[in-house]
Amino acid sequence: MNTHLPGSARRWHDLLEIAALAARIFLGGLLVAFALAVLTLLFAAPSYAGEGDTGQGTLIIRLPDGNGVALPALDTEVAIRVNGPLARTRVVQTFHNASDGWQEGEYLFPLPENAAVDRLRMVIGEHVVEGEIRERAAARAEFEQARASGRRTALVEQQRPNLFTTRVANIAPGARISVEIEYQQTLEWRMNEDGGHYGLRFPMVAAPRYIPLPTTAEEIADAQRITAPVRHPAAGPAINPVRMRVELDAGMPLSALRSPSHALRVDAPHANRRVVEFADGAAPAERDFVLEWTLAAGQAPRVALFAERGQDVDHALLMLMPPRLPSDGRPLAREVVFVIDTSGSMAGASIAQARAALALALRRLRPEDRFNVIEFNSITRALFDAARPASTDNVEHAARWVRKLEATGGTEMAPALAAALGGAADPERVRQVIFLTDGAVGNEETLFRLIEQRLGDARLFPVGIGSAPNGHFMRKAAAAGRGSFTYIGRLDEVQERMSALFERLEAPMLKDIELAWPDGAQADYWPRKVPDLYAGEPLVVAVALRQASGTLKVGGRGPQAAWSTEVDLGRAAPGSGLGTLWARHKIDALLDLLRSGTPEDEVRPQIVELALAHRLVSRYTSLVAVDKTPVRPADAPLQGGQLPLNLPAGWQYEKVFGQLPTGATGARMHLLGGTLTLALGALLFALTRRRNAFA
Amino acid sequence: MKTTTNCHHCNGRDFLGVECAWPAPDCLGDTRRRDAARRRTQLLRAALVLALAAALWQFGQAGYIHAKAWLAQHLIAQAWAQTRAGGAPARPWPWADTWPVARLSAPAQGVEVYVLAGADGATLAFGPGHMYGTAEPGDFGNSVLGAHRDTHFAFLQWLEDGSELELETAHGEVLRYFVTHREVLDHRDTRPLAQPDSGRQLTLVTCWPFDAVRAGGPLRYVVTAQARI
Repeated sequence: MNTHLPGSARRWHDLLEIAALAARIFLGGLLVAFALAVLTLLFAAPSYAGEGDTGQGTLIIRLPDGNGVALPALDTEVAIRVNGPLARTRVVQTFHNASDGWQEGEYLFPLPENAAVDRLRMVIGEHVVEGEIRERAAARAEFEQARASGRRTALVEQQRPNLFTTRVANIAPGARISVEIEYQQTLEWRMNEDGGHYGLRFPMVAAPRYIPLPTTAEEIADAQRITAPVRHPAAGPAINPVRMRVELDAGMPLSALRSPSHALRVDAPHANRRVVEFADGAAPAERDFVLEWTLAAGQAPRVALFAERGQDVDHALLMLMPPRLPSDGRPLAREVVFVIDTSGSMAGASIAQARAALALALRRLRPEDRFNVIEFNSITRALFDAARPASTDNVEHAARWVRKLEATGGTEMAPALAAALGGAADPERVRQVIFLTDGAVGNEETLFRLIEQRLGDARLFPVGIGSAPNGHFMRKAAAAGRGSFTYIGRLDEVQERMSALFERLEAPMLKDIELAWPDGAQADYWPRKVPDLYAGEPLVVAVALRQASGTLKVGGRGPQAAWSTEVDLGRAAPGSGLGTLWARHKIDALLDLLRSGTPEDEVRPQIVELALAHRLVSRYTSLVAVDKTPVRPADAPLQGGQLPLNLPAGWQYEKVFGQLPTGATGARMHLLGGTLTLALGALLFALTRRRNAFA
Repeated sequence: MKTTTNCHHCNGRDFLGVECAWPAPDCLGDTRRRDAARRRTQLLRAALVLALAAALWQFGQAGYIHAKAWLAQHLIAQAWAQTRAGGAPARPWPWADTWPVARLSAPAQGVEVYVLAGADGATLAFGPGHMYGTAEPGDFGNSVLGAHRDTHFAFLQWLEDGSELELETAHGEVLRYFVTHREVLDHRDTRPLAQPDSGRQLTLVTCWPFDAVRAGGPLRYVVTAQARI
């Protein structure tokens, strides 16, 4: 440069040079950026998305109806009487109208998936109205009519085998209406070396469910029925307090009793009996209540038989624990596919439990096993293209992959199930699919059908994760997948539960179980086709027969030898509510028929007849209670709507219901940064020039 | 004065060595000062190079973001043509974990963009994303689309109540939507995601304010449009 230029001209010259440099840098940057973009994107022609992974669905968000509309407050009282492996429960939901207008309310709540709901009573102070069983539409019409005419009324409908709604109308200002529901159920019973383990699970909150692709009007209406507004946890302390009282009579001395879910106050009036209450009096409805007890070693019976005499037929319930089968010593050659749910509902505590369970399961693999891991949320992603040997390297790689899994997005379960059950199966190996999920989906029926169709020789083992898993999904998916289910509710249960699951997977199974009833018994027993039994699982059969007497022969086949035993039906303990349980088992079996293709017109009348005869709430029947006299004046308006639910404990609201997408790039920040550094560059450039010129 | 400075400026280009009657001390033996000066110059030069590199990188990043957003839409356009022709959703590039689900245009603003499946950050770099869990674009219910306010959804700021939007679905159906409502909300407010009982609704979400430099603020601009057939 020419130093003889006058000062001002030189400055102009410098500025021009800086501008030119800046332009060059900017253009260069753009060029580099463009080249980068081309490189990363412009490689090949579009390819097609895999079949089935385009599904998108809905998590219906329902906001509390209306703004500022007062809703009745709710509290719940639960009394459970346990007698051996049977339980009868009374749930009292009290709707309290604190406003000075007339109110109504609708409450969506879960019950155990095998609950046979057979009684409804509406209690208004001293006044009790007994509920009647009706076909669903008739019950609804009766309720709507009573509601409109100002009479107090309550309706209980089943939306899923484990999901119900209560509707109550015409609650007077300042008054309460209690809805009493009773149900019968059999308890979970498992056996291992140290004795018999029993489990009672009382679900307390209907978890929000993901509903894929609701297209038809019927599907959308169904989605609305299983969805309720969910309170944001930041909106204050949890609502709907539940008080619990369990009176337990095991019939044998108990050795241990615990609840992994709640702090308890336990009374022991007798070696066989316990009375259990929540330590804090009441707990909010935000997690399942789980109670587990163990019978003293050596005391646990292998057979539990109850009978109830009826006028025409007797009903009986048999629970039979087969002995531990000898193994043939050869470890099973197997292919284990782990499927982990990484949808938004799993975020928080659940994904931590699922990751821990998966990590543990990976360590249990033997080097001769083959394995793969599949994660799914809105899309399905597999670790390997196909199952690989469980070498140290592969297992390490998988463990690292699993550690990085995060939970977000929808719950598109079907493509993941299809991927896990499909593919070229190795005929030499048993394929075991271990499926970790909370089951928070609304399309259970479609999924069960898919499992049945694609199962082949594979076996499906659902592992229910979190504070409020969908028990109906776990039980039926295991049944359809001819496997067995497990629950993990807390991180510290992972070790114990996964070990128990793996023991079951590795122990030999009892197959081809057959029942020979005494001659002339005319036994109508369910399930008709007894499923294969894993080690430590009991056979459970409900039967209606002419007379509970004679001898029942039970036989099955293990890997080594055949097994058989005899049960004297005359020595049954007296039980109550067995007819209801039998009807519930039969309805279950009929609904399974529906899934395997029998037209609804054939199944429905049978279910309706059974349910009406046994006063059972079912898919097609509801209980309705209507008071005789109108109480609400014709001109007084009725306010209210659907009661909001707590978010299940450990869930993250934003991960489930999402938040609005982020809508800005960092481009402007980069441009600003670029401009600033360029200005700095210009300053430095000027400084160097000045040094050169004047030093 | 000028000559004095010049004749002592032995590092200058015009210095001939003997212009002054006496040699400048810098140009004689005292190299310490000269070395120090040279070091300072070198330091300045290094800083300059660093600053220029940083500027280059920053502009490159900005350019990359915009180039990606622009170029991806062209590839997606091809995938969309295939999707429309073949029925099955086509991925715009083989390793993409998204695919086009609709074409959205704002005729008055002269904007045409292809909507991708999923509204996470990785997808939004390439185009507007359809949020999983909301109704499919064009279906009954509420479809929520998100995009960046400085790329694909910059045009939202020009929309007014009554503005027309056009949506083409994968089945070839073309639907006309009209803006009914615009508002600014917090990103945790899930009201725009709610499903209506009837009708087809389109909810467009982007960041707000439009002229903010920093990304990732808590506010969102939400435009609601209803289909009219």
